[in-house]
Amino acid sequence: MDTRLFAADLLDMLPELTLFIAIIIISLLDLFWPKNASKKGIGVLTLIALIVSAGFLIYQRIHLDGVISLLNDSYLVYHYGILFKLIVLLGVSLIVMMSFGAIRDKDIPHIGEYYVLLMPAALGAMIMASSADIITLFIGLELLSISSYILVALRKHHTKSNEAAFKYIVLGSIASAFILYGMSFLYGMGGSTNLFQIGATLQSLESSFHPMIYVSFFLLLVGFGFKLAAAPFHTWAPEVYSAAPTPVVSFLAVISKAAMLIFMFMFLPVYFVPLDPVQNLTIYSDVVLTLHVVAAISMIVGNIVALMQKNVKRLLAFSSIANAGYFLVVLSTDRPGELVYYLVAYLLMTIGIFAVVTALENSAEHQDISIFSGLYFTAPVTAVMTVILLLSLAGIPLTMGFLGKFFILLGVIQVKTYWLAAIMIVSSVISFYYYFRIIRLMFMRSHSEHTTIKVPVTTMIVIAICVVATIFFAFFPQYMLSFIEWT
Amino acid sequence: MLNSYLLLSASLFCIGLYGALSKKNAVIVLLSIELMLNAANVNIIAFSKYGINPSLTGHVFSLFSMTVAAAEVAVGIAILIMLYRNRGISDVTKMDVLKK
Amino acid sequence: MEQYFNQYIIVAIFIIIGIALPFGALTAGKLLRPKAPTKEKQTTYESGNEPVGLSQVQFNVRYYMFALLFVIFDVETVFLYPWAVAYQELGLFALIEMLIFVSLLVVGLIYAWKKKVFEWDSI
Repeated sequence: MDTRLFAADLLDMLPELTLFIAIIIISLLDLFWPKNASKKGIGVLTLIALIVSAGFLIYQRIHLDGVISLLNDSYLVYHYGILFKLIVLLGVSLIVMMSFGAIRDKDIPHIGEYYVLLMPAALGAMIMASSADIITLFIGLELLSISSYILVALRKHHTKSNEAAFKYIVLGSIASAFILYGMSFLYGMGGSTNLFQIGATLQSLESSFHPMIYVSFFLLLVGFGFKLAAAPFHTWAPEVYSAAPTPVVSFLAVISKAAMLIFMFMFLPVYFVPLDPVQNLTIYSDVVLTLHVVAAISMIVGNIVALMQKNVKRLLAFSSIANAGYFLVVLSTDRPGELVYYLVAYLLMTIGIFAVVTALENSAEHQDISIFSGLYFTAPVTAVMTVILLLSLAGIPLTMGFLGKFFILLGVIQVKTYWLAAIMIVSSVISFYYYFRIIRLMFMRSHSEHTTIKVPVTTMIVIAICVVATIFFAFFPQYMLSFIEWT
Repeated sequence: MLNSYLLLSASLFCIGLYGALSKKNAVIVLLSIELMLNAANVNIIAFSKYGINPSLTGHVFSLFSMTVAAAEVAVGIAILIMLYRNRGISDVTKMDVLKK
Repeated sequence: MEQYFNQYIIVAIFIIIGIALPFGALTAGKLLRPKAPTKEKQTTYESGNEPVGLSQVQFNVRYYMFALLFVIFDVETVFLYPWAVAYQELGLFALIEMLIFVSLLVVGLIYAWKKKVFEWDSI
């Protein structure tokens, strides 16, 4: 196999290269930006770069013919990779738009850096989505992680935020170390850094090496669980979510999760190692069982602890922990189409609800759940849209969230894991309680506050996009599903 | 030969994990994390020389992971300096604002 | 094979001499010189500097900034070594790649410069 890179191959890398060049140019522009000019220009440039990159991706998708592999599979252009990259770019673009109204000078002293840093983070996620080599996967993961450590730390003069950032980087680095250590065992057993080759070599290994393969999986699981914020590795999430700037929180909740899912999507097939040919047992069945247990714990812990939260962002953190559980379920049933559908649903409703939270939290100057009280009377349009997003998060019919969960449930029932399906249904029902608590608050007239809430136009656009898409793709899921499956 | 290297890296990893989770001084916590990452490096290099399928890519992998580890710790120290300037502490046990 | 080991013998001799020489010289000096200690002679700096405070002081946090920059730029050179070793086979394309890589480091340097990291009062 020719492992060299030719100039013509760079055309296949255009989506990533666009972002890469944009990072350099925009970060230098930020340095020489006029002192008294608004830094929103940097944000606009970032948005343009993201959209151009997405344009190249769509072009690639239309002209995709099979799988393009460069540099010994360390760069792949394939069907689901492109979809994941599009999701990442969509998410980051929405977050940038949300930030125009949400990020304030007094909060974050270096707004230019904030916008610039979103791009390497997105680039890291894209590298993860376009690689089948553990070196590049690790580099992509770290690019994403290190950028998000800095993003969490951007509220420089806010002690809570500083502390959350330090906790996040310490725990995140420990998780990275676990992932690297697990990868080292995989590399040692497979003798290559290419995931396909590792998978092929592992199948022919003697059974005396199987414990080593299990060790590698459990080490990787710690890292996966941490980055996905799945219980029992979730403890960082509520603290970081409550202290970081809200757009960054939505980034952590959506993009980090999406990137980690594609990472696992690439990694897990390695474990199709036959144990017992007679009973048709593979290590993969143990892997699936472990994922199911982690998923069950996440759903239960996330939904039950969310009941007791008074801080909105903490509540949403536990909701995202529960969602990590749903994602693990759909990942283990090996249905990439459903995974993508629920990921888009989760992206839209989470970014939408965080956009609402940014507007409310900025006008109330606190994060207590009471910021929602009387919202219907102060900002009726926003309130109605928030209701739709919350219903989608809870999984009420006629929303995308419902359909996504329904697909996941069907998948679980199809593989006959009824206990998991039961846990999923019960924990979803529990989640109704805290979502409906917020909805009830919105329709209660609060006498104490007479302030009118101003939702910035860009934030309003983000919320509107999320709401419209959530409803549209709930009524016409076939459009999205056919785009996902389209070859 | 391989086993002794794996043992070495496993003990380094455990020492690092213990240090990262139990030490009071934040700088030592970051040092311990570095130890964990380097334990993985020892593992990779040992496998690339004495593994069942020896190959040269392990060297490249360890070079990359060294760089990444340096970047990670640099950001860690920067965040620590920021924390130190705002609160005047480098003691992990005193970082409890978020609990209140 | 024998020649291979001979090279190590030279290294071993170097190490032994390297350890023995300072020890030998200092011991010889101790045996030969007269011993008449006074209080001034026993201070850390004999040449007139008065030592102040304890030896275990907290370093100024500003040094960390330089250490950070050093670590980052220093570690990047790790990638230059494999390239330099295989330079003959890799040819022009790798040279251009390396130029891009180094120019990225320069961008980082400009960034640090413009952010006034190199000034002593930056923190």
